[in-house]
Amino acid sequence: MALIAIGLNHRTAPVDVRERLSVAESKLPELIASLTAMSGVDGGTIVSTCNRVETYVSASSEDIIEAVVDWLAERAGADRAEIEKHLYILRHGDVVKHLFRVAAGLDSMIVGEPQIHGQVRAAFLESQRCGALDALLMHVFEQTMRVAKKIRTDTGIGEHAVSVPYAAVELAKKIFGDLDGLQALLLGAGEIGELTAEHLAGSGVRQIFVANRAYERGVQLAERFGGAAIQFSAIEPYLATCDIVIASTAAPHFVIERGQVARALESRKMKNLFLIDLSVPRNIDPAIAKVDGAYLYNIDDLQLVAESNRELRMKKAQQAEEIVAREVESFRRRIAAMDAVPTIVELQQRLEEIRATELERCLRRVGPITAEQREAIEMMTTQMVNKILHYPILQLKEADEPQEQRESLRKTIRKIFGLR
Amino acid sequence: MSPNLTLYAALGLYAAGTLMALASLFGRRLQTPALVLMLAGFVSHTVWIGTICVRTHHPPLTNLPEIAAFLSWTVFVVELVLLFKYRVHAASFFVYPLVLMLLTVAAVVHEPFALAGAKAQSKLFTTHILLSTLGVAALLIGVAFNALAWMQDRSLKSKQRGRTWEWIPSLNVCKTLSYRALAVGFSIYTLGILTGILWSYRTTSELLDLRVKQVGAIVAWVLFATLLQSYVSGAYRARRAMVISACALVAVLVAILGIRHA
Repeated sequence: MALIAIGLNHRTAPVDVRERLSVAESKLPELIASLTAMSGVDGGTIVSTCNRVETYVSASSEDIIEAVVDWLAERAGADRAEIEKHLYILRHGDVVKHLFRVAAGLDSMIVGEPQIHGQVRAAFLESQRCGALDALLMHVFEQTMRVAKKIRTDTGIGEHAVSVPYAAVELAKKIFGDLDGLQALLLGAGEIGELTAEHLAGSGVRQIFVANRAYERGVQLAERFGGAAIQFSAIEPYLATCDIVIASTAAPHFVIERGQVARALESRKMKNLFLIDLSVPRNIDPAIAKVDGAYLYNIDDLQLVAESNRELRMKKAQQAEEIVAREVESFRRRIAAMDAVPTIVELQQRLEEIRATELERCLRRVGPITAEQREAIEMMTTQMVNKILHYPILQLKEADEPQEQRESLRKTIRKIFGLR
Repeated sequence: MSPNLTLYAALGLYAAGTLMALASLFGRRLQTPALVLMLAGFVSHTVWIGTICVRTHHPPLTNLPEIAAFLSWTVFVVELVLLFKYRVHAASFFVYPLVLMLLTVAAVVHEPFALAGAKAQSKLFTTHILLSTLGVAALLIGVAFNALAWMQDRSLKSKQRGRTWEWIPSLNVCKTLSYRALAVGFSIYTLGILTGILWSYRTTSELLDLRVKQVGAIVAWVLFATLLQSYVSGAYRARRAMVISACALVAVLVAILGIRHA
């Protein structure tokens, strides 16, 4: 049984190659069916994201690799040689390790990003739905999901934002908890301000008011977020009703002063105000940071948060790699033990057959005996067989030996005991 | 088997659980074992409380060690309710040591089991002590969440992330839970004080007997009222609330320790 992964990702192939192999969600069942229809393939799946396209195949032998590469080249509409130089081909334990790393986000462009876990899960579920997963791939899939979850829970690798807009969202969550139902005020139409507002809207912020010097541009932006445009000169009342203020204007002076915020907080009662100043020169008076209930972060503060989160992620990635290594080893041992199961079962059946036949023959010769006597003899012969089988079974289950030696031992035992 | 065995077992388990909870600041995998140890301690603690009730035929409310043990038990129950309802582990950094400290008081003071005196056998007295204990337990949890809110506020203001950054829930959650615990605790505590005054009047014909525990209780009540008022009026500020909380906590502890001199 061979487990193979063939694919390319953002490190091995440029986007123009990746896009040729990329699979739309709607096309996935058709392509999985085409992959598993190949002769010699027992099961398969395709993981396709914007950064990677990978095929995972379980097959009777490694000869299938050539056919899968040809299949990929055909799909890309390219020469085999052209596509082959971007591909990586992994076998057996390396496939498991790679898949564990991919699902945990350790192989992603942004290490620890959480989306990939869902994408791998969706790919395998689709294959399962299409009946394209054999027992081996099913086992690999279940373990992959378990390991990815364990890594996220134990290390918290995906918990910290590594970009400025996400850092702002993370901080907003640290202040308000759930962002659902909050209101935000966007001042100016700077690119990073717009991006931050977009992330906030995506995180549940109910309404975004946009105030821009050029009112028309403000209206356009507000429409994008499903919010409302307001006049730049009329922002003060909104400071009292909005929970988050993002300043991203080109104004060379402060557009929000300490007094305005102090007045707004008075009318907000217990509610805090989060101010994000993404402008250079700064648009929000830094003295506001000293006002109770106001939390002011400028672009440097947010960059620092993102940077320290990146460092934290790298540390957590190291812990995650250790978990992957442990889990791959544990998986290898389980698979090695599973390889021996058919031989062990046959061996037990064969010896039980011999025991039962010989016992019956013996009892016929001996003549009538009591039920207790029969039970005692049955027990004795069963124990003898179990003891004879004890060491061969232990050896068959031994996972530390190399694959070839285990295979050779299985063959020898089958030969000695006359198994099929 | 010595009846005190369950008390010492609870103390040992609480101590281990508290240390593990504090160590979980360095590795979150320790959070669950810490909770398991605390729960095991809680079971032992419950058996100890039951032992007091069985041996003395009254609730564990008649002397300092009994009240400290019962208060500690109640604080842990309130913490458990909040933990399972809101999934907030962070308060454990304050609540577990508090539970341990109160039970340590019970173990160190260690008075023999005593039957309740004639005065203390009335239902009014039992109601007074039960309400006061429950109220104080909720108020202590409120103080713990207030401390978390203050730490989160400091962290956000200073833009420095300490080890607690990951563990403390959002500022809003801390403030909301603190407010709810304080509001509920304050109402119950007020009823506790009122029933105490009534009981005092019935037994001694005096409304207030201004000794250490009564003064401590009234000062705590005033401070908690001020704190709650700051929440309601919108004058809440993390640092000021923390100072008031700390003073109220001291007053409550004085009132509890003052039971000995009642």
